[in-house]
Amino acid sequence: MREVINREVSVVSYFSAKKRLSLPHIISWEGREYAVGKIGFHHTVRRGDTLHHIFELVDDQESLWMRINLDTSNLHWTLEAVSDGLAD
Amino acid sequence: MALQTKASRHILPVNTAEPYLMHIDLNSCFTTIEQQANHLIRHKPVAVAAYTSGNGMVLAASYEAKALGIKLGVNVRQAKEICPEIIILMPDPPKYRAAYTRFKEVLLEYTSNVVPKSIDEFVIDFRGSPALRAGKTMEEIGHEIKQRLREHIGDYISVNVGIGPNRCLAKLAAGLHKPDGLDIINSTNLEATLASCELMDLPGINRRFKARLFAAGITNPLEMYQADPNYLKSFVFFSKLGYYWHSRLRGWEVDDVEWGRKTIGHQYALQDKTFDRGELCRILMKLSEKTGRRLRNNNYIAHGIHLSLHFTNNQYWQHGRKLDRALYATQDIYGAAAEMLLGIGQFPDNVSHMSVHVFNLQDKSPEQLGLFDDFQLHQRRLAEAADQVNDRYGEFTAVPAIMADMQKVVLDRIAFGSLRDMDDRLH
Repeated sequence: MREVINREVSVVSYFSAKKRLSLPHIISWEGREYAVGKIGFHHTVRRGDTLHHIFELVDDQESLWMRINLDTSNLHWTLEAVSDGLAD
Repeated sequence: MALQTKASRHILPVNTAEPYLMHIDLNSCFTTIEQQANHLIRHKPVAVAAYTSGNGMVLAASYEAKALGIKLGVNVRQAKEICPEIIILMPDPPKYRAAYTRFKEVLLEYTSNVVPKSIDEFVIDFRGSPALRAGKTMEEIGHEIKQRLREHIGDYISVNVGIGPNRCLAKLAAGLHKPDGLDIINSTNLEATLASCELMDLPGINRRFKARLFAAGITNPLEMYQADPNYLKSFVFFSKLGYYWHSRLRGWEVDDVEWGRKTIGHQYALQDKTFDRGELCRILMKLSEKTGRRLRNNNYIAHGIHLSLHFTNNQYWQHGRKLDRALYATQDIYGAAAEMLLGIGQFPDNVSHMSVHVFNLQDKSPEQLGLFDDFQLHQRRLAEAADQVNDRYGEFTAVPAIMADMQKVVLDRIAFGSLRDMDDRLH
């Protein structure tokens, strides 16, 4: 089931200068920390002139899918939606 | 049989040139991208629907859903009756556009002769490409592209690759072994391939053409290939389409024509069907705004407007009107469309779909305004200023008052077919 959250969350991200990649690493939501497993898709979208980076990923247990959004105007992260991969 | 024997001098030879055209399409595009993005829904029945409510139409179904009989065009209720566990998702156009851009980027690494046919289909002409000059075969290039797409978009992405001497046969080849196929049609296997296909496997042959072909005694693509072009013209297609089909099936190119834009418009399937003209006017304004934005982005003015309504009882109403005055600002388009909407007599039922198109397009500049066209000029400048605000702060930030509080109505969608606006948007 997919659930819309739309709440700011704490995210640890890292940048690898070698791979030239910046990726989320740990997401903290509702008192739990989720280590990022596989990142399924990353894309950007412009809302007005603000660029947003959207990551769709699963935790390292592959039990929860999360869609997180980095607003590049203030570098805040928002958890937009979560899903357990089952039908509504 | 008449179709095989008469006037054989008109029959073209088969094109024996090496096939250098490649057709690539992404399997179940929207759902595959969703499954790429979310590992937890891979290998499961998934559908992307216009709305997640019961009447929402399924726009794309995953291979797992298709295997259960869920096809494009059924509604969510029917899909859930077939498979209660199906995962229904709303479309995510920005994500699909991003995947399309990456798809195109990979293909452009090989040649600049890349023609997008829709969000998930490309035709690539490899003649003279560096890859061929480096000694690679078309088959090797096809396998390489499949691998590059998995690296560049994601590991769940699979595409069908078809290679042929023309667009039609390349597309036919791409459909032979779905999903993840790679097939080549050339002069040596052409007849055997056509013999193994059904008429409706040919791109462009629909039920109506199939019925005509059957009535003319042609029951499969091989018989169509063997038929005299005059027979196809006079007894099946009743136009030069007969010659075109004869040429296509023999490997000659007749489809490399890019048509200019003739109309710009938007349509909307109402989630809540209604005959309330006030509500319809609000939706009409939003359709006019979307149409106007695209018209202005492409630097056109229009001299015609078309409005169509589809009712829940399957009746429809449509009307087009040529105009002396130019349409450019959203208010111009809305004014002309609303005049038609409010002029309709009694509606036979609730309205289920509404569309607005403008036609008779001309380049905006150079334009000639009359001495007394000050008001029109002000409206145009206002529209351009509102566009700049919306570019900076997001779509529908500055809107006419009638559109207040209707952000979620008439959502961002990806049209099937033409990608002109999308390519404009990405660059």
